[in-house]
Amino acid sequence: MTYVIAQPCIDVKDKACIEECPVDCIYEGPRKMYIQPDECVDCGACEPVCPVEAVFYQDDLPADWADYLGVERDFFATVGAPGGASSQPPLETDHPAVAGEPQRTASS
Amino acid sequence: MPGDPLPLVPWAGTRQSATEFKSDQEVRWCPGCGDYAVLAAVQGFLPELGLARENIVFVSGIGCSSRFPYYMNTYGMHSIHGRAPAIATGLATSRTDLSVWVVTGDGDALSIGGNHLIHALRRNVNLKILLFNNRIYGLTKGQYSPTSETGKITRSTPMGSLETPFNPASLAIGAEATFIARTLDSDRHHLVDVLRQAAVHQGTALVEIYQNCNIFNDGAFAVLKDKRSAQEAVIRLEHGKPIRFGHAGGKGVIRDTATGRLRVVPVTAGNEADVLVHDAHETDPGTAFALSRLADPHTLHHTPIGVLRQVERPDYDTQMAGQLDAAVERDGKGDLAALLAGTDTWTVKE
Ligand SMILES: Cc1ncc(C[n+]2csc(CCOP(=O)(O)OP(=O)(O)O)c2C)c(N)n1
Ligand code: SF4
Ligand code: SF4
Ligand code: SF4
Ligand SMILES: [Mg+2]
Repeated sequence: MTYVIAQPCIDVKDKACIEECPVDCIYEGPRKMYIQPDECVDCGACEPVCPVEAVFYQDDLPADWADYLGVERDFFATVGAPGGASSQPPLETDHPAVAGEPQRTASS
Repeated sequence: MPGDPLPLVPWAGTRQSATEFKSDQEVRWCPGCGDYAVLAAVQGFLPELGLARENIVFVSGIGCSSRFPYYMNTYGMHSIHGRAPAIATGLATSRTDLSVWVVTGDGDALSIGGNHLIHALRRNVNLKILLFNNRIYGLTKGQYSPTSETGKITRSTPMGSLETPFNPASLAIGAEATFIARTLDSDRHHLVDVLRQAAVHQGTALVEIYQNCNIFNDGAFAVLKDKRSAQEAVIRLEHGKPIRFGHAGGKGVIRDTATGRLRVVPVTAGNEADVLVHDAHETDPGTAFALSRLADPHTLHHTPIGVLRQVERPDYDTQMAGQLDAAVERDGKGDLAALLAGTDTWTVKE
């Protein structure tokens, strides 16, 4: 089980969540943050602090964003489990599903 | 199985996964609590041992950390405050086919349960004790504990604690423990490495886990976790390796020949050969004791983590089983009912 960061984070990335994560498993992509599902310990600390309510327990993902569980899983299938985001540079590419989303502007 | 370190505990027979070790209970710690990380690490590690789940038992006392057995899909007991080592001792000695784990907190293990802990350690019962040290009473909302630092201001010490804290690893060495390790809740890799060594140890293994209580004692071990400060603060002990740390292993631990004390020094070509090589199996506990208290108590700089000590000594359960077998051979199988109804009585006269 894991928590998942869904669509509302795209182009927002205020990173309130990473301050809370006790195991440093929230990684930064160019447009979105990503939770490493094998490193997440399900503590739920990231969920309430997100200002745009982008974080969900996997079973509570709204139907519209149900794909984001797969997005995070696929994303880390290539990245692996680095064992801590703060010792890593931000990741260079987003998952294609995220990269393909329209750019969010201040008003949208 | 040949070379099996836990020959008496039955094998699962099938490949297990972490999911099988998760119970259906909703985990109820505060969001962000370090306990979640330890739970995930234990659930992820146990499949590696391959033991039958019905032969694994988690016994805890009272405290936030002691809620652990609810979340494990094994046998378990949320027992009496401080008494988990006593209950687990009974279980481990009477059922040598069980893998028995104790989960306890700094308050549970070292305040009310201090007595039970030290006797379990010296007896060397086959128990693996996970001591969640957050330096606070979490469950009761933030009173100082026996590991809280002197001067600590809490609800029960409004003007600062007047007490000198216990150092759990030093205490365990004094109590004749045969296995003592220290690790961090958030360092999954290190935690699992220590658990792996504890699990196969014959006798009592004490694993002190520095755990963050983000509600009542947040950041107690932050200096050991932050990647920038950890390099200078944490000393990772590895058996057979020189005790070096810091940027490019630039610092080392040597023994001062004049005072006999351990000292941290910059490593140079001139003193490199004097850097202590960690020997966890050394029977004399002197160096392990000095290492257990090397850290600066105020800054936690130079905190050794890893297995401080792992020595062999016959375990209590095997020896007790041996005595029982010998007694049966000599006197035949006992009859408890007959003993209770026996004639070996006397009358106290006025
Ligand atoms: C006999 C008894 N005395 C006192 C208490 C109150 N009490 C409950 S938990 C606890 C200490 C918990 O601290 P710790 O073991 O460090 O566990 P944590 O909650 O920090 O994980 C105390 C004193 C109790 N439940 N029973
Ligand atoms: S707090 Fe929310 S918006 Fe901010 S980075 Fe985390 S998930 Fe994205
Ligand atoms: S649930 Fe906890 S461990 Fe998982 S990403 Fe959120 S803060 Fe990190
Ligand atoms: S009070 Fe502290 S130790 Fe207890 S669950 Fe909350 S964060 Fe964890
Ligand atoms: Mg505690």
